Amino acid sequence: MFERDDDTLTDVTARVAASLKKAVRLDPALDARVMAHVTALPVHRPVGSLGRVWSWLRRPRTLAVSPLAGLAAAAGIAAIVFVAARFGRTAVTPPAGDRTPVEFLLVAPRAASVMLVGDFNDWTASATPLHTAAAGGLWAVTVPLAPGRYRYAFVVDGKRWQPDPSAPPAPDDEFGSPSSVVTVGGTL
Amino acid sequence: MGIGEGMSKDADLVRRVLAGDAAAYGGLVAHYRDRLARYAVRMLGDRGDAEEAVQDAFVRAYRSLPRCDDPQRFGPWLFGILVNRCRTSYARRARRERVVLHDEPASLVAAVASTAERLEWEAEIVWALERLDPLYREAFLLRHVEDLSYDEMATLTGAGVSALKMRVLRACERLRVLLKETDRV
Repeated sequence: MFERDDDTLTDVTARVAASLKKAVRLDPALDARVMAHVTALPVHRPVGSLGRVWSWLRRPRTLAVSPLAGLAAAAGIAAIVFVAARFGRTAVTPPAGDRTPVEFLLVAPRAASVMLVGDFNDWTASATPLHTAAAGGLWAVTVPLAPGRYRYAFVVDGKRWQPDPSAPPAPDDEFGSPSSVVTVGGTL
Repeated sequence: MGIGEGMSKDADLVRRVLAGDAAAYGGLVAHYRDRLARYAVRMLGDRGDAEEAVQDAFVRAYRSLPRCDDPQRFGPWLFGILVNRCRTSYARRARRERVVLHDEPASLVAAVASTAERLEWEAEIVWALERLDPLYREAFLLRHVEDLSYDEMATLTGAGVSALKMRVLRACERLRVLLKETDRV
């Protein structure tokens, strides 16, 4: 296909790209499997005006602050902390028993079993099995968790340890295997 | 962006799904399935892993749909989920044996000599692609196969534009060297 030794990098790149752009066909049943999962999940509900406002308030934003404004803000925060300390006020924290149901999901069509391990069950592989929620390998389990940050992973077929593909990876791992992080709401 | 032709139709389908019409999601799956399949197969080099990644990306996108801030940008948003999913999948199966893929039915292979030669060339490209560092392969595929701009790639990957340009350049150079080893360049 390339006879000359001095073909440019551009030529090679273009020819490789042209080959790789060819269509790739996966299992035709993929669409049906996806829709089986989707219909097994809770239906989305229209968000009312209050919900839209709440969503807008929760959305992260980037603020541009000048150094002078930053100093003024820091001074303001320091003043608030001083006043709070002076008058003995403390931040309100949620009660320890206030648990939130957290759903863990993994798509593993070829798995025979999936277990959830993490800080919340002392990394015990037999404590929290996932169940198949639909045909095609969607595994799910819901665990009530108190506010906090937890590390966790899945154990597939009793031996393969894998992190949650949809969650942030844990920054370091003393166990030698990758794990993920979930943060449950509250004052963290 | 290369991903997301038919943005207004996407936006309409997204709004219908968010209004409770789960079946409308089928339109989005049908629209993006082939595009996602191509990237996943090229990136992972294994059809089974690619299917799992694509299926997972679609399901996760459905669950997270209320967080898709701009329904007209559903395509790029979905693709970003797949790119991250492929990164995780690749890391997980890095120790497994890889499978060289041919996309043509076997019955076509021996029919014409030129076809056989073309398939050989395609197999060599797959062979070379799999020997790239995953970050280089990802950058090459997004830039030269999915035709994304560097700004779009930066949004999807979280990497800087200059770093992405360097990855693409390194990928092109490495591909040329690898294909030269097979006497095809």
